[in-house]
Amino acid sequence: MSEIELRKVSKRFTGATAVKRANFTIRDGEFFILVGPSGCGKSTLLNMIVGLEDVSEGEIRIDGQRVNELDPKDRNMAMVFQSYALYPHMSVRENMAFPLKLAKLSNPEIDRRVARAAQILELDEYLDRRPRALSGGQRQRVAMGRAIVREPRAFLLDEPLSNLDAKLRVQMRTEIARLHNRLGTTTVYVTHDQTEAMTLGDRIAVLRKGEVLQIGTPRELYERPRNLFVAGFIGSPAMNFLPARRAEGRLELPPGALEIPAYNAKRWGTGQGPLIAGFRPEHLRVIGERDVSVLWFAARAEVVEWLGADLFVYFDVALKGFGEMDLPEDLDIQRGDTARHTLVARIDPAHAVQEGDSLRVGLDWRDVHVFDAASGQNLTLSNAVNEH
Amino acid sequence: MAGGADHGRMERWCWGAGSVVVIVYALIPVAWILSLSLKRSADLGDNRLFPQVVSLEHYAAVFRDPQFSAALWNSLGIAGISTLVAVLLGMFAAYAVVRLEFPGRRVILAAALSIAMFPPVSIIGPLFNIWRTVGLYDTWAGLILPYITFTLPLAIWILSAFFREIPWDLDKAARVDGATPLKAFVFVIAPLAAPAVFTAAILVFMFAWNDFLFAISLTSTNDARTVPAAIAFFTGSSRFQQPTGSIAAASVVVTLPIIIVVLIFQRRIVAGLTAGAVKG
Repeated sequence: MSEIELRKVSKRFTGATAVKRANFTIRDGEFFILVGPSGCGKSTLLNMIVGLEDVSEGEIRIDGQRVNELDPKDRNMAMVFQSYALYPHMSVRENMAFPLKLAKLSNPEIDRRVARAAQILELDEYLDRRPRALSGGQRQRVAMGRAIVREPRAFLLDEPLSNLDAKLRVQMRTEIARLHNRLGTTTVYVTHDQTEAMTLGDRIAVLRKGEVLQIGTPRELYERPRNLFVAGFIGSPAMNFLPARRAEGRLELPPGALEIPAYNAKRWGTGQGPLIAGFRPEHLRVIGERDVSVLWFAARAEVVEWLGADLFVYFDVALKGFGEMDLPEDLDIQRGDTARHTLVARIDPAHAVQEGDSLRVGLDWRDVHVFDAASGQNLTLSNAVNEH
Repeated sequence: MAGGADHGRMERWCWGAGSVVVIVYALIPVAWILSLSLKRSADLGDNRLFPQVVSLEHYAAVFRDPQFSAALWNSLGIAGISTLVAVLLGMFAAYAVVRLEFPGRRVILAAALSIAMFPPVSIIGPLFNIWRTVGLYDTWAGLILPYITFTLPLAIWILSAFFREIPWDLDKAARVDGATPLKAFVFVIAPLAAPAVFTAAILVFMFAWNDFLFAISLTSTNDARTVPAAIAFFTGSSRFQQPTGSIAAASVVVTLPIIIVVLIFQRRIVAGLTAGAVKG
């Protein structure tokens, strides 16, 4: 059990800054996620917490005690690696007992703890096997077992599921969540997969290029993304973006203009810089009242994906005189060119939409996030929303 | 289908025949020596491959000779110590070269290689004089030092190539699990590196065991003379007799340890290689 506090932690490698002044606290017992695209510094941050990388600047405290200079062996944290890092020359039992032997525990105690971990993770039958005789999911569980036998102050997991196939990944995800509920140990989990982040995390820190962009609960990140990157990164399918312009009491989008009450429009400031409007696929509706707050426009379904519980409709919007949008490249949102942009709507599968059908699509101004195109700041949020 | 099976059988047959040719070609001198060592002195010149009468008289003679047992002891000791030291130092050096970022680590590998390619014969003369001055002439240390010098580069290269293949997450995992860097090395990395260690050990041991040049130049008495050098000093039972039989018997005796060592370590190497191939 422990609280991990990062105080303006930076990491510089020769010629590059991997982590820039990370400043946040992971609460006791929390399931905390570090998420971001590759190269965002999330693994470096994790390695600094566990002690495998030196801290260039700043301070890491565990339960109020500075640990910068503490060797990893003295931090009593357990880590699960992406490669699992099981010792290939040891049996499953020996793998799990290894940290306990190093801690000089008595043999009966070691046996007791290994047996308990094996029982929790359903590894009893495999204790005498070598890692090479195990499947991917079993290896993953052994790695978890080696972590939990120590009863450590914190679990650190570095992309633990990325070597598993899709089905197993979902299964292990729930197992990890259940394990955390059962043990209640502070857990820091690194992933590049926003779905894992959303489903597992109590709180999530979104990192990009070494910077922590936003920290919050999954709901906060989803509903109140502080900037364009977080908005585009969290959520699947990703948020729709369209170039936008300020106008008197209105927000002009390529398909039309949205009437915005003056009080709300004020937040966007009076600058003349280009804007980007963002809205979630589920906020595009195909049915509803003709409310003044809703912009209706015609669209032609290009691609329809029916997933049983969901129906995704992709359609193009001509950009008509609006400049090209500069979306962050690492968001990997490629949905168009200079002339048109593809939007996706998540609608009720009861609608029998077919490819090539024409529909009327509605968008409520209350569901639209407005971002400053230059800074990426979300202008819709009042400035009071500063979690850290 | 049938053609494919025929083809496979044909290929196997060719490989088999080729292997037999190579093995026979390589083993004929060994067979000849073995045959000589088992002949009676009188039959040595009979030009037969199989001895008319099998006799162990040369072996008895060789082991009666105090010179030979001293040389055998010297060979074992010198080759053993050289192997131990060279492999140990090679492990530390290779570990550092692979794991640590420090200026000049490429230079170390290049320098090691250049030493390995250095012709030993070119330093024999100076070494002879230096050893006599500093008192290393005709001592174990006087042979162990050059053996380590010439085998260490080889050991470093073999071991560093292997260390590079070891997933270093294992080292990190051990460190997080509570091991000191030394314990992580001893309990996790070293067992995985065992095949490479055995390979390096065999090669170093063979170099030291087989060496004739240093042994003949830097020793003069039974204090440090190794078997290859001692064989050159063999004499016959009388001054009119060639020591052919004794030399053959001694050669067979010194070949045995090498064969045994290779057979023992070969198993470890094969077993170890497959164990190391496990991903993660």
